[in-house]
Amino acid sequence: MAMTARQRAQVSLYVQAGIFVVAVAALILATDWKTIGTSVFNFAKIGPMFPDIFVAGLKNTLIYTSLGFIVGLSGGLLLALMKLSSFPLYRWIATGYIEFFRGIPALLVFIAFGYGVPLAFGVQWNVTIVVMISLGMVAAAYIAETLRAGLQAVPKGQLEAARSLGMPQWRAMVSIVIPQAFRIVLPPLTNEVILLTKDSSLIYVLGLTASQYELTKFGRDGISSLGAGLTPLLVAGAFYLVITIPLSLLARKFESRSARTKR
Amino acid sequence: MNDVVHSSGTSAPVRAAGVSLKDLRKSYGSNEVLKGISLDVAPGEVVCLIGPSGSGKSTLLRCVNLLEQPNEGTIHVGGFEATDPDVDIDRMRRKVGMVFQQFNLFPHLNALQNCTIAQTKVLKRPQSQADNVARANLERVGLGHLADRFPDQLSGGQQQRVAIARALSMDPELMLFDEPTSALDPETVGDVLSVMRNLAKEGMTMLVVTHEMGFAREVADRVVFMDGGVVVEEGTAEQVVGAPTQSRTKEFLKRVLDPTHIEIAS
Repeated sequence: MAMTARQRAQVSLYVQAGIFVVAVAALILATDWKTIGTSVFNFAKIGPMFPDIFVAGLKNTLIYTSLGFIVGLSGGLLLALMKLSSFPLYRWIATGYIEFFRGIPALLVFIAFGYGVPLAFGVQWNVTIVVMISLGMVAAAYIAETLRAGLQAVPKGQLEAARSLGMPQWRAMVSIVIPQAFRIVLPPLTNEVILLTKDSSLIYVLGLTASQYELTKFGRDGISSLGAGLTPLLVAGAFYLVITIPLSLLARKFESRSARTKR
Repeated sequence: MNDVVHSSGTSAPVRAAGVSLKDLRKSYGSNEVLKGISLDVAPGEVVCLIGPSGSGKSTLLRCVNLLEQPNEGTIHVGGFEATDPDVDIDRMRRKVGMVFQQFNLFPHLNALQNCTIAQTKVLKRPQSQADNVARANLERVGLGHLADRFPDQLSGGQQQRVAIARALSMDPELMLFDEPTSALDPETVGDVLSVMRNLAKEGMTMLVVTHEMGFAREVADRVVFMDGGVVVEEGTAEQVVGAPTQSRTKEFLKRVLDPTHIEIAS
């Protein structure tokens, strides 16, 4: 019997859903739930992680991320303005910086500022400073590109109108252009924070004391101290989602709001 | 340059500045847009610049407050020589109000804030005084009741009137209008023109790039016809629009005044 195009599409969707259900069922049946329950995700071992996962892990992840973001945002704004400068030297410095820090693994930056720089200059930095600088400098490179795009998206007439009212260049940027650029880049900027949250885990390469553990290090430490298989790490992973999913929702909200104001 | 003080009805008296342009030249690469323009605008005078698109009239207007940097020539505005390399350009621009074809209102600020931000940040007026000046100017353009609206909540004509109020809030001595009605829906053009007409009556010096021949005839003390980067003809509106002597002026006016006129290539 001949089917219409609409019916064929309908059947195709049912088949796809069927395949998905069968695959999930097969996975559930094939899984060794007993082993998983004891050595991968053991419910009984979750309890001992509390409340330490809040007072050390989650708290430190939030602190490290915030510090990194503050440095990254200020550095990124400076770099973005340098990149748009009419003075070639500023543009070269900004371009060099951005290409360098976007091009190397963040882990290397942590090692460099955790071990290399203190050794080379004979300074002693505590972990918070190292995280702030490392995370901030990597973030600045990414944020700079985001902000540059945002600044360029503000129509040229805005700057002209501001200058025509007698505002000096810096004042026109601060009061007129930058606020509009931030509005444009809020969604991508929120995504930068999500990336930053996860990158804060890289400080595991530094020697940390228990009170300095952030979520991932806390989870890894739990594996050996609690003997609970991967349970602590999986719980830590869930906590990342507690941070990042609301941020994603926030980004989406910003996106729909800017779509509405833009006619 | 002499400043003339005119008294006006409700608002503060307008201090009007004059403009003097000499041998102004401006090129973009090898394309010379202004080919030596001289033009004087007396304090309190209203001068309309007309001409086909690409004739350089907008560029000329933008040179007056240095949104475009001329290659040669001198510009005097009020007591300032704009072309002096040492001129305090920001101080000069405070005296020169600019109204753009695309309004260029600040979209993140409401109508009142659009009119206060430069007052507080540039003139350092206290917020309360700035608010009062802004409200008075919004009233002046007939939009006192929409002070809380954001630009995207206003029609084109309303936005342009807010833009005029924004410029007036700085107490300018000269107003530049760059095709202020060209981006507007036909039914809102009249409101903007009537605001400009009142401003002219109050004695403001105005330099207006426009295609509104009716406005030019009625309001302009002088009309300047530009084509190809030079001033082709200038005089009173009656002379230039009513009885042009140059063939290029006649040709242009024929096309502008009679939209049904179709040029047939021979």
